[in-house]
Amino acid sequence: MLDFLQAVSDGVLFGATYALIGIGFTLVFGVMHKINMAYAAASVGGAYAGLLVLQVMAGAPPWLVFLGAFLAGGVLGWMVYALCFHFIPLSNPLATLMSTVGMLLLIDEVIVHVTAGMPQNYPAMFDDVMLRAGEFSMRGDLLLVFAVSVLAMIGLLALLYRTSLGLATRAVSQQPVAAQLCGIRLVRVNALTFVVTGLLGGLAGAMIGASVGTLSPLLTTPLTVKGLIVTVIGGLGSIPGAILAGLLVGGFENVLQLYRGVTERDLYVMLLLFAFLTFRPGGLFAAKSGRD
Amino acid sequence: MSLLAVEDVVTAYGKIEALKGVSLEVAEGTITCLLGPNGAGKTTLMMTIAGILKPRRGRVLLGGTDIAGQAPHAIVARGIALVPENRLVFPAMTVLENLQAGAFQRRDKAAVAEDVERMFTRFPRLKERHAQQAGTLSGGEQQMLAVARALMSRPRLLLMDEPSLGLAPLVVEEIFRIIAELHRDGTTIFLVEQNAHMALKVAQHFFLIEQGKVTFSGDPGALAEDEVIRRAYLGSAQQ
Repeated sequence: MLDFLQAVSDGVLFGATYALIGIGFTLVFGVMHKINMAYAAASVGGAYAGLLVLQVMAGAPPWLVFLGAFLAGGVLGWMVYALCFHFIPLSNPLATLMSTVGMLLLIDEVIVHVTAGMPQNYPAMFDDVMLRAGEFSMRGDLLLVFAVSVLAMIGLLALLYRTSLGLATRAVSQQPVAAQLCGIRLVRVNALTFVVTGLLGGLAGAMIGASVGTLSPLLTTPLTVKGLIVTVIGGLGSIPGAILAGLLVGGFENVLQLYRGVTERDLYVMLLLFAFLTFRPGGLFAAKSGRD
Repeated sequence: MSLLAVEDVVTAYGKIEALKGVSLEVAEGTITCLLGPNGAGKTTLMMTIAGILKPRRGRVLLGGTDIAGQAPHAIVARGIALVPENRLVFPAMTVLENLQAGAFQRRDKAAVAEDVERMFTRFPRLKERHAQQAGTLSGGEQQMLAVARALMSRPRLLLMDEPSLGLAPLVVEEIFRIIAELHRDGTTIFLVEQNAHMALKVAQHFFLIEQGKVTFSGDPGALAEDEVIRRAYLGSAQQ
């Protein structure tokens, strides 16, 4: 029982990073009704770029690396928008899917070439701290990962619900024609959405690196799949859904890892997805029919 | 001089021309009405003036400046606001947020807040429901919200695309009362309608559009009302 609780707790804490990745997929979908397949790869790319801080400044504190990853993620997000969406006809449902899959492979290749395919150590904070309650314990670095992720989510919600840019973003996602008639520039909101999700992604990538201890190019594909699973389970376009689903998937996979081992665990995540697609295809928070 | 002049505008969807050279004028301070059957090109013309659709040919002059083909945000900035067909409110945003979205380009926060109060005075129902999501409003309330949202940009010219569509007769009367009120306050209105009877009561001038072309232009008394209604619903091609 204690093992079970421990696995749930560790998994849910780590699941906050899945939630961030899920938010990135779901926000772009909400605004543009497109899937950005390059999102998880760009997030990992941003985390790698954060390591450049250590190249420039040896012995830099971990939080500077995280900040670097955050900012690099934003730049990468804008690049993904510029290269995969801006010049591509959005009316064709497959065009941007293909361009972003291409970008996913490109980012993957760049990472492999730059690092010669070797995993890179990633700094963590509070990894020497351990909170204990009897046999039950909580890792300090995971708590930080969780706290940073939650802060990022609060920041995003504040941006969406407290600023005029957020108002414009919600307007475009609910009714793009009317948003334009209000004088809102579609192209700007679209680009901004990619920058904001990119920032979140870079941070998520850094937090994953910090909790695992290393980054490897092998991360991009599973993270893409998991991000999409979280998005679907949460309900396409729903931010609360992505948050809840991220924590759910994180806890679920860690419990299955405990009982069935790391090689089998993703099988059960797929089964969870299958169950949702069968019994609740709209996800936890099925999107309201916003458009007529 | 007329506030809006549309000159020989052609707008096409692919190879199909929905507007085949439309010309008309809207004089400052008037209610001008465009009547015509379904599929005649009324909504296409509205979307073209507002910049959502790009005309293939022709000019759209606002106060003498050609705005044809400009982006919607630039056209809003020049002082045109469109109340779109089917209202298109932001369903998951509150009534207040819908109004704020209408004032998106304005930076004068205090004046925007005043205008919100003014809208609430003109549309008391919106005040009652200001914190409610727009998608939960009735059709008539949504129509009023769409009108108020458009007014929030302080337009020189208000375009309205079938504001009475799908509303109960009493609500239609209220909408037309509001249109007359806005006109009295000095707003220039270009109105697309199916409800020819109500439209001819408020308009000073009207145009008939049939199959992408303006086929008649005159004052409300210029053509017998039953003739107007017949052509507005059926088009003269059916004769």
